[in-house]
Amino acid sequence: MSTATLTETQRQVMPAVMDRLIPAVEALLGAGAMGLLEEVERLTAEHDRYGRALVQFLEALSDVMSSAENENFPALDGAQQDQAIQKIEQALPQNFATVLEVVCLAYYNEPKVHVRIDWHGGAPQPAGFALPPFDAALLDTARQRPPFWRQD
Amino acid sequence: MSSVIQHPLVDIIVIGSGASGAAATWRLAQGGFSVVCLEQGRWMNPADYPVTKKNWEELSRTTWAFHPNTRQQLADYPINDDGSAIKVFMYNAVGGSTIHWAAHVPRFHPSDFRVKTLDGVADDWPISYWDLEPYYDQNDVMMGCSGIHGDPANPERSPRQMPPLPLGPDGQRMAAAFDRLGWHWWPSDNHVNSQSYKGRDACNNCGPNVWGCNRKAKASVDVTYLPEAIDYGAEVRAGSTVFDIATDTAGRATGVRYYDTAGEAHFQAAKAVIVACNAVGTARMLLHSASASHPQGLANTSGLVGKNLMFHVYANAVGLFAESAPTYKGAIANIIMSQEFYETDPARGFVRGYSLQMARSSGPATTAIANASWGSAHHQNFAEHFGKSTNLGIIGEDLPVQSNRVTLEPQQCDRFGIPIPRVEYKLDGNSTRLLTHGVQQAKTALLEAGAQRVIEKPHSVNAGWHLMGTARMGDDPARSVVNAYGQAHDVDNLFVVDGSVFVTSAGVNPTPTIQALALRTADFICNERTDLK
Repeated sequence: MSTATLTETQRQVMPAVMDRLIPAVEALLGAGAMGLLEEVERLTAEHDRYGRALVQFLEALSDVMSSAENENFPALDGAQQDQAIQKIEQALPQNFATVLEVVCLAYYNEPKVHVRIDWHGGAPQPAGFALPPFDAALLDTARQRPPFWRQD
Repeated sequence: MSSVIQHPLVDIIVIGSGASGAAATWRLAQGGFSVVCLEQGRWMNPADYPVTKKNWEELSRTTWAFHPNTRQQLADYPINDDGSAIKVFMYNAVGGSTIHWAAHVPRFHPSDFRVKTLDGVADDWPISYWDLEPYYDQNDVMMGCSGIHGDPANPERSPRQMPPLPLGPDGQRMAAAFDRLGWHWWPSDNHVNSQSYKGRDACNNCGPNVWGCNRKAKASVDVTYLPEAIDYGAEVRAGSTVFDIATDTAGRATGVRYYDTAGEAHFQAAKAVIVACNAVGTARMLLHSASASHPQGLANTSGLVGKNLMFHVYANAVGLFAESAPTYKGAIANIIMSQEFYETDPARGFVRGYSLQMARSSGPATTAIANASWGSAHHQNFAEHFGKSTNLGIIGEDLPVQSNRVTLEPQQCDRFGIPIPRVEYKLDGNSTRLLTHGVQQAKTALLEAGAQRVIEKPHSVNAGWHLMGTARMGDDPARSVVNAYGQAHDVDNLFVVDGSVFVTSAGVNPTPTIQALALRTADFICNERTDLK
């Protein structure tokens, strides 16, 4: 369990960040506008590694914004938001990768996303997948080769 | 340890209940020895495995992660592998890393035991393939092997217990490509049931079985060896973290000191001790068991305990296909294997060789995270990969180097006060050239199979599944830690049965060889060390 929690300001910034990381596509909203902050917060609360990474990321973003003309990340246009995120991606690559991991986990656990990508969702078991059994005739060519393991 | 709970003398203690410890426990209990198997982890409940959970992808990266430092479960000890080019993976539970493995079970080749003679590198083993062959067979019966005989890249062997797992359309596509290239391929041997076997279900091709199989179709030793061992009278004492191996003034092992989950200290006396903690845990255990009679660490007169750590060197080539049946259907790994480049060919610029192993794709979050693509490129990148990628892994022979090693981290301890292991490891030039060659061949095969694009991944950092070499076997006590039966040169009632005893690594997954060696050692004790009963 993580002790990391987001401030109210960070909770307002994060959906905008999520929309830049995984933007809207077709009829689906971006990861932030889709309302997945709650799922991100669950992940960061349950897993300390995620919690620490997200807080560090948002603090770094705050530092980047404080040196910019407009300190309000959600109010920036998309290109400006991407620039701010890229600065952190370059400065803290491991941290950024972990935050992207959290957002991807939240987004691709969402049933609406599953419908769009034609993914069954849910647990792999008990359904599994049906595959035809192994066909030994596939080995007809491979079997023609004499043994070639090293015998010297 | 001010107050220590004493346990009555038993014949043999086995430390660790993973692939090798379970096999040894089974054989020794069958042979009539009283055996206590001490395991720091707990019994797993297959019904709770991630494959039964909707958030299985989250679990696979957190509480079920391969790296113990990420997973941080109660039975895990931290590892300092900051100085290692490959990160150390293991699982700590009853069943050990077989809970967490892909169950791919190729055998070593006869040449793998003779690399010094054949290629002038490393050392020969003190045993041959033929010494191990009956134990490979015995292990397949216990674990249940899906596969087919007749592979021209390997010596002829017994028919497997079950036919191969389904290749699926993606596996057939790769097989056809290998055929067109004139390259070897063969269905992978698996300890995954293609049919019901010994009361365990057949695999239903769900995919991510590396994080545990609730159907018990994947053979982990908690559902194969250990139930039978218990029927023979063995005791598996879960939640027992061994602190050290005790020795008397003559230097012989007298038992082990361990903690239970409540932190209570225990002493279990025994006539012999078998160490089966994997090549990191075993080195740690032996080094930490230094005493007046073994000042450099137990069984370490040679100074080689902890040295010659080997992983397998890994690289990958990922082929992206335009239109296909989804490539996440079926076991995630172990579909087919090519050993076209397994043996040494001096023209390639490196010694020894590698296997090419096909693996499938995974769920959507895993796919997206692996691609690390965000912003405007995210969705297109995801669409190119999801269900459309086939991976060819290059698993290369890793030659022993003494500077690749496990030592104790003196300033850092686990929750019981035991120093954690420090792992130092670098790839050498031979490995780098081998992987470079392998990636190019894998790319050729994937393009032949129809891939529109191939992504080359020349060195895998997160690939430390196979731990070998830190208590190598040999005939010369000055150049090895244990003899050909896993018996310590320095301590006649101490044995090592895990991958630590490997002299070289070969270019295939090590677990069936580890288990065959464990069975052979246990057979030796049953037949030659009746004084321990």
